[in-house]
Parts: sequence; structure tokens; C-alpha cells
Amino acid sequence: MNTPQRNIKLSVSDVAKTFPVRGGAEITAVTDTTFDVMDNEFCILLGPSGCGKSTVLRMIAGLEETNGGAMTLDGHEIRGADRERGMVFQSYTSFDWLTVQQNVEYGMKLNRVPKAQRRERAAEFIDLVKLTKFKDAYPKQLSGGMKQRVAIARTLANSPSLLLMDEPFGALDAETRWNMQELMVSIVERTDTTVVMVTHDIEEALFLGDRIIFFSSHPGTVLENMLPEFKNGQRILKKEDALTLPGYADMERRIMRLMREQGTDHTDDL
Amino acid sequence: MKHWRWFDYKKPIPAPAVIGLGVSIWVIFFGLWEMSSAFGWVSQLLVPGPQKVVAALYNLIAERNFLGDVGISIYRIIASFIAACVIAVPLGILMGSFRSIEAFFNPFVSAWRYLPAPSFIPILLMWFGTGEAPKLALLFIGVVWFLTTIVMDHTKNVRTELIETALTLGGNRKQILWTVMIPAVMPDVMTAMRQMLAMSWTYLVIAEIVASTNGIGAMMMRAKRFLHTDEILAGIFVIGLLGLAFDFLFKIAHRKLFPYLETHGR
Repeated sequence: MNTPQRNIKLSVSDVAKTFPVRGGAEITAVTDTTFDVMDNEFCILLGPSGCGKSTVLRMIAGLEETNGGAMTLDGHEIRGADRERGMVFQSYTSFDWLTVQQNVEYGMKLNRVPKAQRRERAAEFIDLVKLTKFKDAYPKQLSGGMKQRVAIARTLANSPSLLLMDEPFGALDAETRWNMQELMVSIVERTDTTVVMVTHDIEEALFLGDRIIFFSSHPGTVLENMLPEFKNGQRILKKEDALTLPGYADMERRIMRLMREQGTDHTDDL
Repeated sequence: MKHWRWFDYKKPIPAPAVIGLGVSIWVIFFGLWEMSSAFGWVSQLLVPGPQKVVAALYNLIAERNFLGDVGISIYRIIASFIAACVIAVPLGILMGSFRSIEAFFNPFVSAWRYLPAPSFIPILLMWFGTGEAPKLALLFIGVVWFLTTIVMDHTKNVRTELIETALTLGGNRKQILWTVMIPAVMPDVMTAMRQMLAMSWTYLVIAEIVASTNGIGAMMMRAKRFLHTDEILAGIFVIGLLGLAFDFLFKIAHRKLFPYLETHGR
């Protein structure tokens, strides 16, 4: 966090996405989307529902094709899904038939990491997400928050260059959610991971984001690219500590207004 | 379980009551059956009492090599069912995984599904004569198309996020087939197989009644010729028992093969 000169990790420029609809017409979901994410940055994609932020994340993951524009990761053009860009989804994606340990080893197994190394690295990341006691349990026996921790450990153990998260805590109850948010801060601090995370939760964005990209809806594009100045370039470890920082409330108010403007447009359309 | 009533919407009742009720329906059934035949409410010839049926079953086994008939019936079920599964399970998984494979096979598979298998009996007899082949073919036809379609549907229901997770972990298409699609769909495939096995028994009896000189169904048709209703009922009883036994085996296998589906314990 202290190095002032940081390199560009992910570059998204002029990216667009259109979906075909009935009768040969097209809907523009995302247009002219341009932003950069720096090395070791926690970047939040924020915006009202239907603004295309998840589509942008899926294009970065290579799960969705772009219709124009260019994206590079570490200077290389992004083409298709790859272990370089590991994704954690909102819905639970633990493999039911594998134990926690086997789930975390899964990605490494696909990539033919030798067994001993796989074991050791999986144990390390299971410890990081505090699931060591449950390493031999099957996902069916775990709570929602624990399943998401398995997904995070599995993705990170596979050593991606970029961690993508699509509303990963959206299905969790409030208490579990902020526990997970604090866990994410400690993980990012300890592993120097670069993260791009989609959310529509403003508090989550403010607490986690080193950079917040706010999307407008219809069509989805970058409305504001914000660096939360109230943090002074430091990450906050406990959620309540953020609330008392000068500037936090101002930024929250500003984003809520943006959200209301962009959101109301949306309901008026209906 | 201190305060409970016999009639409360969706409320549990004590375990002894559950067992007692389950047993009593059978006691009533056999009681009525025994009485109706003992008191002459129905013709002794058409509805022999339970004791006569048990005696007939004993007699069939001891003197008429009924176990040989049972054996041949079980062989027909198992041989044809394995053949159907060997085709239907891989085909269904591939059709459910890849739209191109579905587009190629599905018009064919769906068409066959709507042809009642017994309608093939005359032509199967002409093609294969009177040996085992026409019976096995009928049972195969009766199962394979349905099973393929059910397996395809279950495979389609494998959640996209699981596939996408594997993709962003660096999995290639072949790895995803073996490490995501197949393990994810296997419990449902086993359930589908269990249901289709019940269907297989239906076709077996049809095949043996219409076109066979051995097997449980053929024994029942022979008994009909000699007005041995007790033997017919014994045959029905044995078929029911075997069906239950196979179902139970599948249930056990399901539990053993997929222990991770249990929510508690390990």
C-alpha cells in the first residue's frame, strides 16, 4: 500500500457489449467503458441493478465476448476464460462431491500441480479463510458464508493474477456479510491480490474499495471513477472504524444520490 | 411427543404409531382376503385365500423349478438394463452437455420415445425368433430412449456457474466433462435408473406373457390355462417382492456412492 508508483494491472478501454433481441434488433448493455485497475488494488464496480457491471466483470473473466474495445491484463490481451482470472460467484459453487480440502485443491489439480505441493498450498489457503477445522467436511455440511470462503480459497490457491468477484456476499445475512468483508481486507493485505468486485451495496463498496467505479444504467458505462480519499491510502480493517472517518459520510451521501438518480431512471422506464 | 392428536395438519405422530398404522393396513388387507375366501363371499376358484397362495408358491419352488423361472426373469432384466444404461447414460450426458450433439440425436430419440415398446413385439419375434434376443430387445427399447432423455435433462440442469468456475480455474472442455458434468449429474442419473428399472419390470412381464415359454410371466400364463389362480397370485407376489428388492438395492447403492449428499454426520 505504501508504494506510490503503481503499475496498471488491468486495463479496460472502450469496451462494449450488445445482446441480440427478438426480431434482429440489439440491446446495448455496456458501451464506451474505460477504466484501469492498479496492481494490488481492490476495485469495486458499483451501480444500480441492470447497469451492466456484472456483464463487464464477466467480459473481464472471458465468460462473455466483447463487442468492441480492448482489455489487457499484465499487458496481455484478454481472450477467453483462463486461470489468470479466477472468479467467485454470488451463488455457491463448491463442488458437493468434494471435501473442502479437495475443493481447494481442484484448480491446482486441473493445472497439474504436483500432489504434495497441492496439499500444502491448499492447507495454507484453507487456514487463510479459517476453515482448517472443516477441511474434511463436505459443502452440504457448511453454512453459506463458509461455502463462499471455500470458493475464495479455491480461487486464490490457484494463483490467479486477478481475483474477480460477482456480488460474492449478496446471498449472506448481514452479520456474515461484514465478517466476510473484513476477512477480504485481511486476505488482500496478506496476499497482495488484485481484486475486481461487483456489488450494489454502497457500504460494502466504501469499506472494501481502493477504487470505486460507478456505472450509469441504460446504457451501462462508467459514470464516475472514484478514489475514496477519506481512507488516506490505507485500508480499514474493522468496519465500524470506517464510519467515524471524516469524509466517509460525504462520500456515502454522494454515492447514494448517484444511485437514486440512476435507479429512478430505471423504474420510470418500466 | 406428550400431546398429539391423530388428526393435526402436517404434524408428526410418534414412531410406534407410524409403524403400527403401516402394519395394520396389511393386516386388514390379508384379513379381508382370508375372510372373503373362508366365508365363501367370493369364488374359491377365482380368489384363493392367502394360505393357498403361499402353499402354491412353496409347491412351485419345490416341485416345478420356479426358481429357474425367477432366475431367467432376473437375467433378462439385468442384461437388458445394463445394455440400455451403457448407451443411454453416456449419450444423455453428451446430449445435455453439448447443443450440437443434442441437435443431432434429439429428433431421433424423441421420435422413438413415443412409439410404445410392445408394438415392436411382432416384428422382434420375426427378426429374432423365439430365443432370448426378442425379450432382451423389447426391454432395451422400452428403457433406452426414456433414460437417454431423462439423463439429458438432468445434465442440462447442471448449474452454469459450476462450469464457469472450472473455466476460470483453467479447466479445458475435457476436464470439465469428467470433473464437473459427470460427478454433478451422477446422483440424478442413479435416481433415473432406479425409476426406469421399475418400467423394465413392466415390459418383462409383457414380453413373458406374450412371447415366452419360461420366466415368471410365462409361468403365470401356463397357470391360467389350468385355472391355477393361486399360482398366478404367487407369481404377482414374487414380481412385487423382486421389484421392492431391486429398488432397495438401488437405494443402498445411492447412499453408499454419494455419501456427500447427507447433510449431517460423515
